Amino acid sequence: MIVANTLFTRLVRNSPYLLIALLVVPVLGGLLGVLLPAFGWFPALGANEFGLFGFVQLFNTPGIERMVLLSFGTSLVSTLLAFVITVLILASYFNSPWLKRIQRLLGPILVIPHAAAAIAIGFLITPSGFLSRLISPWLTGWDIPPDWLFPHDPYGLSIILGLTLKELPFLLLIALGVLAQPEIGKTLKAQHKVASSLGYCPMTGFFKVILPSLYGYMRLPILAVLAYSSASVEIPLILGSNTPPTLAVAIMQWFNDVDLSLRIKASSGAILQILITLSLLGSWCLLELLVKKCSTSFLVNGEREYGGMLIQRMTHLITTVMLSVICLALVAMVLWSFAGFWSFPDLLPQQLVTLHWSSALLQMQTPLFNTLVIAISTTLIAIALTLFVLEAEQQNTKTISAISGFIIYLPLLIPSIAFLFGLVWLFEQVNSQHAYINVVFSHLLFVLPYVFLSLANSYRRLDPRFSTVAASLGVQPSKIFWQLKLPLLLSPILIASALGLAISFSQYLPTLLSGAGRINTITTEAVTLANGASRRTSAVYALMQMLLPALFFILAWAAPKLFFRNRG
Amino acid sequence: MRVSNYYRKILVSLCLLSVFSLSSNSFADEANSTAESTSRVWKNVEMRGTKQDVYFHAWGGDQQINNYIQWAAKQVKEKYKINLHHVKLTDTSEAVSRVLAEKAADNHRNGQVDLVWINGANFASMAKYQLLAADWAGELPNFQLTNPTNNPAMTRDFGVPTQGMEAPWGQAALTFYFDSLKVNDVPETLSDLLIWSEKHPGHFTYPKPPDFLGMSFLKYALLVLSESQPKSIQDKLYQPVTAESEAELLPALWQFLDQLHPTLWRQGKHFVSNGLALRRLMSDTELQVSFTFSAAEIPSAISRYDLPDSTRSYRMKDGSLSNIHFVAIPYNSPHIEGAKLVANFLLSPEAQARKQKTVIWGDSSVLDLSQLTPTQKALFDVNEQQHLSANIINIDNTRLLSELHPSWVKVITEQWLTRYGVQ
Repeated sequence: MIVANTLFTRLVRNSPYLLIALLVVPVLGGLLGVLLPAFGWFPALGANEFGLFGFVQLFNTPGIERMVLLSFGTSLVSTLLAFVITVLILASYFNSPWLKRIQRLLGPILVIPHAAAAIAIGFLITPSGFLSRLISPWLTGWDIPPDWLFPHDPYGLSIILGLTLKELPFLLLIALGVLAQPEIGKTLKAQHKVASSLGYCPMTGFFKVILPSLYGYMRLPILAVLAYSSASVEIPLILGSNTPPTLAVAIMQWFNDVDLSLRIKASSGAILQILITLSLLGSWCLLELLVKKCSTSFLVNGEREYGGMLIQRMTHLITTVMLSVICLALVAMVLWSFAGFWSFPDLLPQQLVTLHWSSALLQMQTPLFNTLVIAISTTLIAIALTLFVLEAEQQNTKTISAISGFIIYLPLLIPSIAFLFGLVWLFEQVNSQHAYINVVFSHLLFVLPYVFLSLANSYRRLDPRFSTVAASLGVQPSKIFWQLKLPLLLSPILIASALGLAISFSQYLPTLLSGAGRINTITTEAVTLANGASRRTSAVYALMQMLLPALFFILAWAAPKLFFRNRG
Repeated sequence: MRVSNYYRKILVSLCLLSVFSLSSNSFADEANSTAESTSRVWKNVEMRGTKQDVYFHAWGGDQQINNYIQWAAKQVKEKYKINLHHVKLTDTSEAVSRVLAEKAADNHRNGQVDLVWINGANFASMAKYQLLAADWAGELPNFQLTNPTNNPAMTRDFGVPTQGMEAPWGQAALTFYFDSLKVNDVPETLSDLLIWSEKHPGHFTYPKPPDFLGMSFLKYALLVLSESQPKSIQDKLYQPVTAESEAELLPALWQFLDQLHPTLWRQGKHFVSNGLALRRLMSDTELQVSFTFSAAEIPSAISRYDLPDSTRSYRMKDGSLSNIHFVAIPYNSPHIEGAKLVANFLLSPEAQARKQKTVIWGDSSVLDLSQLTPTQKALFDVNEQQHLSANIINIDNTRLLSELHPSWVKVITEQWLTRYGVQ
């Protein structure tokens, strides 16, 4: 396509380079800042010689193999579970209004920061938790809580539970985002109808017709989830065992240990963490190959029915259990935020007070302001840059190269714990004193990929004939972009923005580290308080963290409807 | 009076171990003798420190303490037009890492940390890597009110001479608490605790080292267990650890823990990572006896419904581990004068008396009341209405145990992790 040389097209043409620089420089720089100490080079500690003693120390750590196994196992199992349940939900409710309802119920979970979710789940399942109070003492006879090793079990079951519940809504939202795109959604739904009319049971139709196409769009998000969960810190810290903990938790503790020489071991650990994450991604790809190989005959064998009713009933059960767990956790969180004293086995607090809300709201103003300023500026940059890059793709009539495509997901695929500590070192090197800018910059690393992930498919699938027709009528590229494409993509753009905001709201380590701790957001306050002793105050902050993104998601859902209604 | 008793005890216990009291007081004496030049130096500090922004990195997990720092910020704003920003840490080591990262990046003048709340291993670590400004504490006019010449505790942090790198801020002692409705046979010694825990399994635990509170429990146990040893061996706890002293002193601790662990919460197979989690478990009624370093958090937690009204606090009869906490200035702080003014204000009778009030924070003052004028002394009079849990049982008939030499922390942590860290 021949494209006019205007300011707009120049801007668009150069945007991919900016995007790549914004993602590559901090990640690689951060990695360098970890790689050097991992091999023994840390002049501030007087370590000036390269060597492997960091790794020797690392492998001499008691229980290191258990740590690795725990990291590997919990993330693989939880991602697998989250994926399977997502597919089951989609398959069972594909043409039912329940899909939207389930999504609306799960949506809030996506935006709860991991720490808050872990605390909420923890309260539910601990021996003195809400579940055990529901059945005590009338059923169990417990006057004092039983002394079980759950959560914090050595097999990581509670970590798997927490991670699955957090990953599921994300995968579901991604899948629904793909289906919400008019082109793909319509095609797939039409194909599904054809399958039904050929006598395929709706469930079988979903697995044979829709899933193979849908999976392609979900692949990278799944890998990102897998990578994230292998190195996440909050959930294993709160729900997991610490004898020993997962590797990521151990690394964070070594980085934060008062014994500064442990930094070298921590850096070596970060390198090991990267290897674990890479091998997880490799295992997933192997699994894909295996499934592909085994299922080719299944796809074309013409079989119409595989006990769809049974699977559907099972899915109903799983969904119900899951939704009740989430609802109970929410109820418990709300109760905690108003609770007076609340002893075991009372189902309800002895009195309800507004003390926790009133004192927290008084102290919340600055963090709230910071949270909004940072999230909105990060998301605006991310959305603008993403749209320009996608437009550049279309003007060059080819998708960005495989390498660039991979780079966009770099910050999601490389465990953040591995490069964030190095990133702070990098900020120091350029002597950047502007805490706000540093924080926006590091949030961008995590917001950009998600925004890109959620927008790219919709943008690429936009029927090119619209713009071809417009261009043949002599419309400027900039006008096509602003007046044709953006309105058509309003809904995905708004959802991507809400997602971007939510991701920014929930960032803990990046805010803390690159802001030099000077910038308090709702999330940093919540995690600080979550580590504190008051469930009540942390419940208030956790609820606040949910309300904020929920508000923006509601706006994102509602705005296009209003907008198009006015047009119609 | 409670405070002076408190002091006498600290003094007595510290004199007992003044084996290695070296030259660390000399700078304080110097400060005395050259009082005039000091006041000129101080005038200079006051002049340059006004209107500075001071970033105070302090643990932010307690609302009461945060409010107190907010109050102090208002005061220094009025007095010196200083903008005091409280940077809330989840762990003091975050500030240590930050200064270290700055040093690694050759940022020697424009650090982000101006003042840090610190003691013990964090201090030893910063001192070792020369991350702190030295020889300034003696300049503070209010530092003299701690009577440093006669009170060596003010110039030693866990036995390590502070060399003017830190100004004392407050002090704390290990205090136990329990629910008086649920427990009627409170364990008052370490050996009682073992018997009690065997009788009521699953209702006591301690945080996993290197958590500060967990470490403190282990130190308390080690100190009490080592009392059966000759004095010369006991004293080795206050000296840098050697292979020999390790072999003499630690086996008793492991033997005790081997007995205790099966009776703990979660059968000793899981330990909380964080000291504050103990209070949450008390509130959940999973634990029945627990402990803390800040006794004042108990009445305040009760008033916020975080602990039952029937909670009472006490000290162990066989001793209570006690330590002093400080504020320090990193070597690369760009606002060193402002930071000194803040440190001096934190040491003022006004600030110390307010801090000691149970309803404010309840952290014991570090000032020597004999050094104060009658008006200043009057600030410390207690006439507040206190919750019953604010009266610490045994406070007058227990000894204060001094902190071990910091080198023990690493050894105990490592061996603990090898023995109990993988289950």
